[in-house]
Amino acid sequence: MRFAFTDDQKLFAEGLRDLLDKECTPTHVRAAWDDGAGHDFTLWNHLAEMGVFGMLVPEAAGGLGGTEVDLVLLLEELGRAAVPGPVLETAAVVAPALGDAATVGTAVLDRSPYVPHAHVASLVLVPGGVVRADEASLTAVDSIDGGRRLFTVDAAVELFAYDEELAFDRGALAAAAYLVGLSERMIDVAAEYARQREQYGRPIGVNQAVKHLLADALLKVEFAKPTVYRAAWSVAEREPTRGRDVSMAKAFASDAAYRTSRSAMQVHGAIGYTWEADLQLWMKKAWALQRAWGDATFHRRRVAEAIL
Amino acid sequence: MDLRYTPEQDAFRAEARAWLEANVPAEPLPSFDTEQGFALHRQWERRLWDGRWSAVSWPEEYGGRGADYLHWLIFEEEYYRAGAPGRVNQNGIFLLGPTIMEVGTDEQKTRFLPTMASSEIVWAQAWSEPNAGSDLAAIRSTGALSDDGTEWVLNGQKIWASRAVWADWCFGIFRTDPEAERHRGLTFVLVPLDAPGVTVRPIAQLDGDTGFAEIFFDDVRVRVENTLGDVHQGWRVAMATAGFERGVSLRSPARFSAAADRLVALWREHADPSDTALRDAVVDAWMQAEGYKLHTYMTVTHMIEGGTIGAEASLNKIFWSEMDVRIHELALDIAGPEAERMDGEFERWVDGFLFSLSGPIYAGTNEIQRNIIADRVLQLPRGG
Repeated sequence: MRFAFTDDQKLFAEGLRDLLDKECTPTHVRAAWDDGAGHDFTLWNHLAEMGVFGMLVPEAAGGLGGTEVDLVLLLEELGRAAVPGPVLETAAVVAPALGDAATVGTAVLDRSPYVPHAHVASLVLVPGGVVRADEASLTAVDSIDGGRRLFTVDAAVELFAYDEELAFDRGALAAAAYLVGLSERMIDVAAEYARQREQYGRPIGVNQAVKHLLADALLKVEFAKPTVYRAAWSVAEREPTRGRDVSMAKAFASDAAYRTSRSAMQVHGAIGYTWEADLQLWMKKAWALQRAWGDATFHRRRVAEAIL
Repeated sequence: MDLRYTPEQDAFRAEARAWLEANVPAEPLPSFDTEQGFALHRQWERRLWDGRWSAVSWPEEYGGRGADYLHWLIFEEEYYRAGAPGRVNQNGIFLLGPTIMEVGTDEQKTRFLPTMASSEIVWAQAWSEPNAGSDLAAIRSTGALSDDGTEWVLNGQKIWASRAVWADWCFGIFRTDPEAERHRGLTFVLVPLDAPGVTVRPIAQLDGDTGFAEIFFDDVRVRVENTLGDVHQGWRVAMATAGFERGVSLRSPARFSAAADRLVALWREHADPSDTALRDAVVDAWMQAEGYKLHTYMTVTHMIEGGTIGAEASLNKIFWSEMDVRIHELALDIAGPEAERMDGEFERWVDGFLFSLSGPIYAGTNEIQRNIIADRVLQLPRGG
């Protein structure tokens, strides 16, 4: 029994954070929102070079041959930076299903009628097979998250056999890890705002009503984290409790991210309600991902089936 | 990361399980907040001690097994799984004991630890005073050195002293330098409750039992050898003890996992399966208990590898105390009209509900814990 990451795993995540601090600032994310693509092609290449998309791909196929435990901290970092584009879909779901890190892929396995990021993906993983996105007819709909474009896709499904339940669990796990990263960032940003913003001649963060909002958000996030890490281990080890463990993680992470978004916005006051404030970059991705890959209620019911 | 137990850990679990199955009383003991229940719980502690299970995480020389935190968690899981009695000497074994090991003299370790592990001496805590609750540094009880410097002369009043009605000794902090700034000039002293000048007045709790008490000190004389840590450094010692209380050592996850499992069983037996709102809430409570367990395992791995926990312990305290209330609220929701009865089928849940309500208050209210988290973890400015 050792519930901790290795030094190598932590170092890889730190390296990714360093990269994202430079290459995925709020300015970069806004640029991806504004240029219509909801994607950052330069950043994508950096992430590919680092091996993020090959983490779950065998070494023989050009990947890093890692496990979900190796990947989960990276997803958290990607969430912290609100990285736009089909990052979690490719790294956690499509690449391991295909055994190929080079395909830009996306997936829709949560019964949503909308495919995220279909315009930049060449392939969509769907129940029972795949759709060639580059040969399909795409109709755009607006996502609340500018870093996540949505489409309805009209195309024939090519039969392709893969472990759909495993793919779904990987997607839900990845979304949960992303949500943890988003939540941590929202708390950091709100705490910094509470230290700087002054009213009545002193920082608003001296007020207990403000302190307690953020303390409660941190509580939610800190207790979601170990469930996400355990889910990563259960998926990596193909444990019999895998589905239950992933669902616990996604339910906790969805709830934590939503509560955190509300608290962070409240701490910001009126500026939190503006387009100008960067907070929306993390909030809106959290609102999209809290429901993608199954919302908290869906996942609690999946846990219910496992334990009741 | 490896979330499987080693064969050695499995063997330890099997040994604990076998001993508990052979020794746990078939019928639950009466509450340790009654005279008879207290005596029976002390006997149970003696039995644990004879089996060397009373203080598994203590070093062997003091009657423990030198178990690391992980083994301690395994033991706790088996303990609550077996439905074994509450720990009447938890103030001693889990709070004062570790503090003595950290700051006590060799003489104090030899004098106090073995009798604590065997519960020959049961300890009460004496922190709060009528005007010093959350603001513990406001205490006014005093300790003055006798003229020959061999004794403390204690005066004042402590309140909410858990277990004090039938306990043998208490530990607390006293103001020994009236001139010093309020967090300084305090000294941590160990006091026999049968010393002349000590008066213990029981206070009935919400459940009607007398689990806590007021303690009055009128010129109570204790040897200076009963000072724990340095003179005037009592605040620092008390904070170490409070850290044990808020952290992993008092509220092991096994207690809540066992309660959550009982809640799930209750739902299966009594609830209306079409009530999906209640079902979802029960599942959420079960998930919280599981989340608390996982969080504890992560913390324990961190500590085994040389890490420490500081203000993060406050996160733990809020989480388990609110979860405990939630588990019991849901059980009473399932019980329906029976939840009003103190003597019915759901008696244990009603008792547990009342007890759970003390959790968000004792060991520092959850509001104080939120302040600690905001100030020390989130680095928000102080001085509201």
